[in-house]
Amino acid sequence: MYQSGQPSTDAVTLRSVTKFYGGNRARVVALDGISVSFARGSFTAVMGPSGSGKSTLLHCAAGLDQPDSGTVVLADQDLGRLDEAALTRMRRDHIGFIFQQFNLLPSLDVVDNVTLPLRLAGKRADPALVNRIIEQVGLGGRRGHRPGELSGGQQQRVAIARALVSRPHVTFADEPTGALDTTSASEILDLLRTAVRAERQTIVMVTHDPVAASYADRVLFLADGQFAGELHEPTVDEVARGLTALSSRASRLGRDGRNTVGTVR
Amino acid sequence: MLRLALSTLRFRKAGFTATFIALLVGTAIVMACGGLMQTGISPRVPPQRLAEAPVVVAGDQHYNLPPTNPGTEDEDHESATLPERVRLDASLGAKIAAVPGVAKVVPDVSIPATLPADPDVKLVRGTALGHDWATAELAPYSLTDGRAPQRSGEVVLDQATAAATGVASGGSVQIAVRGGVRPFQVVGIAVAGGKMASDAVFFSHEDALALTPATGQVDAFGVLPTAGTDPAALSTQIANAVRDQHAVALTGVARGTAEFAQASDGGEILVILAAVFGGLAVQVALFVVASTLGLSVQQRRREVALLRAVGATPKQVSRMITAESMVIGVLATVLAAFPGELLGNWLFDRLSGFGVFEPVLAYHQDWIPTAAGVLVGLLSAWGAGFVAARYAGRTRPVEAMQELVSPKRWLTSFRLWWGIGSLIGGVALAYLTITVMDGPLAASTAGPAVTLVAAAVALFAPGITRLMVAVLRVPVRAVSGLSGYLAMANARVRWLPMSGAVVPVMLATTLAVFMLYFQTTQVESAKQKYASNLSADAVVTSSTGDVGTGLLDKVRSLPGVGTASAYVTSKGYNEKPSDSGQDEDGLALTGVTGDAVAKTRAAELASGSLNDLQGNTIALPVDNANRLHVKVGDEIGLRLGDGAQVRLRVVATLRSAPSFATALMPAGTLAPHTTDGIASQVLVTAAAGTSVSQLMTTLDGLAQASPGVQVANRDTLTAKFVQEQEANAWVNYLVVGMILLYAAISVVNTLVLSTAHRRREFGLQRLAGSSRGQVLGVMAVEGMVVAVIGVVLGTAVSLAMLVPFSQAVSDSWLPYGPLWIYAVVVLLAVVVSMVATLFPTWLAVRGKTSIAMLSPE
Repeated sequence: MYQSGQPSTDAVTLRSVTKFYGGNRARVVALDGISVSFARGSFTAVMGPSGSGKSTLLHCAAGLDQPDSGTVVLADQDLGRLDEAALTRMRRDHIGFIFQQFNLLPSLDVVDNVTLPLRLAGKRADPALVNRIIEQVGLGGRRGHRPGELSGGQQQRVAIARALVSRPHVTFADEPTGALDTTSASEILDLLRTAVRAERQTIVMVTHDPVAASYADRVLFLADGQFAGELHEPTVDEVARGLTALSSRASRLGRDGRNTVGTVR
Repeated sequence: MLRLALSTLRFRKAGFTATFIALLVGTAIVMACGGLMQTGISPRVPPQRLAEAPVVVAGDQHYNLPPTNPGTEDEDHESATLPERVRLDASLGAKIAAVPGVAKVVPDVSIPATLPADPDVKLVRGTALGHDWATAELAPYSLTDGRAPQRSGEVVLDQATAAATGVASGGSVQIAVRGGVRPFQVVGIAVAGGKMASDAVFFSHEDALALTPATGQVDAFGVLPTAGTDPAALSTQIANAVRDQHAVALTGVARGTAEFAQASDGGEILVILAAVFGGLAVQVALFVVASTLGLSVQQRRREVALLRAVGATPKQVSRMITAESMVIGVLATVLAAFPGELLGNWLFDRLSGFGVFEPVLAYHQDWIPTAAGVLVGLLSAWGAGFVAARYAGRTRPVEAMQELVSPKRWLTSFRLWWGIGSLIGGVALAYLTITVMDGPLAASTAGPAVTLVAAAVALFAPGITRLMVAVLRVPVRAVSGLSGYLAMANARVRWLPMSGAVVPVMLATTLAVFMLYFQTTQVESAKQKYASNLSADAVVTSSTGDVGTGLLDKVRSLPGVGTASAYVTSKGYNEKPSDSGQDEDGLALTGVTGDAVAKTRAAELASGSLNDLQGNTIALPVDNANRLHVKVGDEIGLRLGDGAQVRLRVVATLRSAPSFATALMPAGTLAPHTTDGIASQVLVTAAAGTSVSQLMTTLDGLAQASPGVQVANRDTLTAKFVQEQEANAWVNYLVVGMILLYAAISVVNTLVLSTAHRRREFGLQRLAGSSRGQVLGVMAVEGMVVAVIGVVLGTAVSLAMLVPFSQAVSDSWLPYGPLWIYAVVVLLAVVVSMVATLFPTWLAVRGKTSIAMLSPE
């Protein structure tokens, strides 16, 4: 755990984070006091059935959404203490994002999309670095193309390049292969794993696909907004079994009339 | 940021075009109004008939009103243009001729002369002004045929008159001049060097002297300098020579005022018109630009969210949107300069054609209106951009990852406070209109009042739309089956973008219904007031100036005539004592015959006796008398329309309707101080026991027997009055039409923009098995719902303002006007909304169904 004065070995730490959605009458608990941390240079997959709170976990960890209680510490900073401008700077300088789709500004070409966070920060992108990363994700011949002229897999490569170019503290990926075919998906996952192994990047990936999760060092299971187990260096089968167990537990809980997924009193 | 904004603009052509068109058209209208205003502020009346005289000496028409608060700090110096021609003494010509450098002085007199079109002398073709042939060289008129008139009884016609009457050189023509209709021999045809506002007939010098309205006086002197003399220097010398003769020496474009003294009054009307409609155009432009820009930002919510997620601060997003709108702003406003000037010129010609002002004014605009238009356009772009940028800046980054949901909260504090502010402003202006403004001026506050209320409704439009959608759901589903079901399901989630489409429809409907019915209500109320104030059963008009000499007595002696009064109108100014409430319009004066009005206007009499209206006397409206603190028997000093000062004894006070309040004077006292110098009308009432038709028969007999005399009854007079009012109405229709066209463009803009954005949604529907027709059907219902909500809101807003206004001008809660206007407005609103919705839908679903339809835009 993070101690003040010493740099933490964790890239992101969540402590007792709670998040509700909806109004007073139909309140839904998305995160139910969860505590978890992600080590530097690790590749973590967050899994769970629909409604388990995995996306909310990602949003809170990345400072896109404010938890209702608990703290999130990222790059030795308590995100809860930052105002909107400081949070934005934090995202710009220390966090990379890869979404399922609509990752890119349609009006900008590949290079402009990749260097966008740097430009927003008022920094000049190092052309050599940018070129190297674009080559690395296999888009060397498509620098001047706009997103509309790229396939889904290529668009995700641009997003990865963008996430890597600012050398972020941590990169959050939300179902990065969700909209891709199997071949493109495995290429993207290879790229992500390489980024972690070769570049010492930290990646937190939300996915529902056991195959995608098997590329990670560690798989974290969520259910009902709570921590529900983890696997290290998992295989596809292990992940799939874990997920099945989780789903049947959830449905059993539902039958027992106890807390169904997310609703409280 | 600018580079990012630019690349985005290049990519988003639809949104760019919509905002661009809105700004371009808006700025062009503002520039055109600016041009009209500049023309009005410094009216230019180019000289026509005296154009060849480098210096023109004319009577000084300028009049400084007596100060309203003499001796105090806020002493107010208002000035006016005297309404009647200020003539100069003919002897002044010799004084001017004596100035060194003057080669020739040509006295100019305009003589009322009417050419009857047919030999029966019943129809009067129109007034041509007669002149001394000696002045022809000042235009210059040159003979194309024949010779100059030398003896009495000879005339030269200008080409237009000759063509209209079909008389050639050597022929004979009847001309109604002072003293009767006389035959003249046409000895020549002349053609003008340039454009002339009125037709001209040239008499011999001898006749001109005899026919002049004021003997021994001239209208102006044309001065021809010797070779090498500087006109400006000469004019200064002449001005010194004629000092204290209430004369002015004019050079350059100012010479036109010597010919058309009243023409510059048209400038004032232009200023008001330009201010009212320019202001309206600015408001509409702000509205339209804000709504298109807002919509295009709304549609880019995901993109903005993405920018926020990858590290753009709210400020950066706001700056980007503002930069975008400013880029569009600069392009659109600069490009508007050309159409702006063209539009100004076109509007000016139309207004001139409608007779709003004398067609002798010249349109002119320099860089100022253009610069003002650019500034207004840029400010609108900035203001609209500011609102849109605030909205964009509030986008939460997490929206980049979620399915787009309509935000539940639309009532931001910005909307709330500006909405309430606009509402209060609108109501205050409406109150002002009802209580203070009257007549044509009412439109200057009524227009902004109604746009302010419309602005408030627009700000609250999302909530209202949501409510109306809920109300309309059941009936729409009942009549339109599956399409209706789907459309209303869409509307239930899409109420926010839908409200963006409702707003321009609402605005257009509001403006159309309000402005058009306000106009018809005003005309109707003016007509009723005119009719109830018309104290005559018939009017006899003479174009030969014989009312004073014998016609009046002749009419009086006819059987069945109850009363007959001479009739002439003018304006004057209270000087001693001065009237604190007096403005440049002065006091309306009507010249009448005392004993006749004593009978016809007995009901209005507050004190005194109208029978005493003889010689230097006056009957004042009660309000005026009260402000002057005078009563019957007191003497007042009045400045008459031609600048003459007279002392008049008050013999009566009158209670009359405010818009028809006029002081009465004996026609014989007033007429010599008018441009025509004579009264030309007789107001006749029937004697007890005589029907109006009997009276008309008698009077028609008189007209038959006396050449140059015309008779009109009440209905003809009222119809003529309404016709004059409707000339103003056409101005309103023109400018309202222009603004409506603008609003319609924005309706199309908004609908096309919001429909084109839904390509993906249509693709999904098609993939799910909808036929093209079914998609169009759903959109037709949606378009209809937008039109209905817009029309209902527009009707409500305009009615809410029309009812009190109509109560104020006509004492009836119900606005007056034909129902078809409303039907046409509604029809147009529906047609425009439907076409603007269905056409882009059709474009989107026209191709083959494919998965490509689902790709994000």
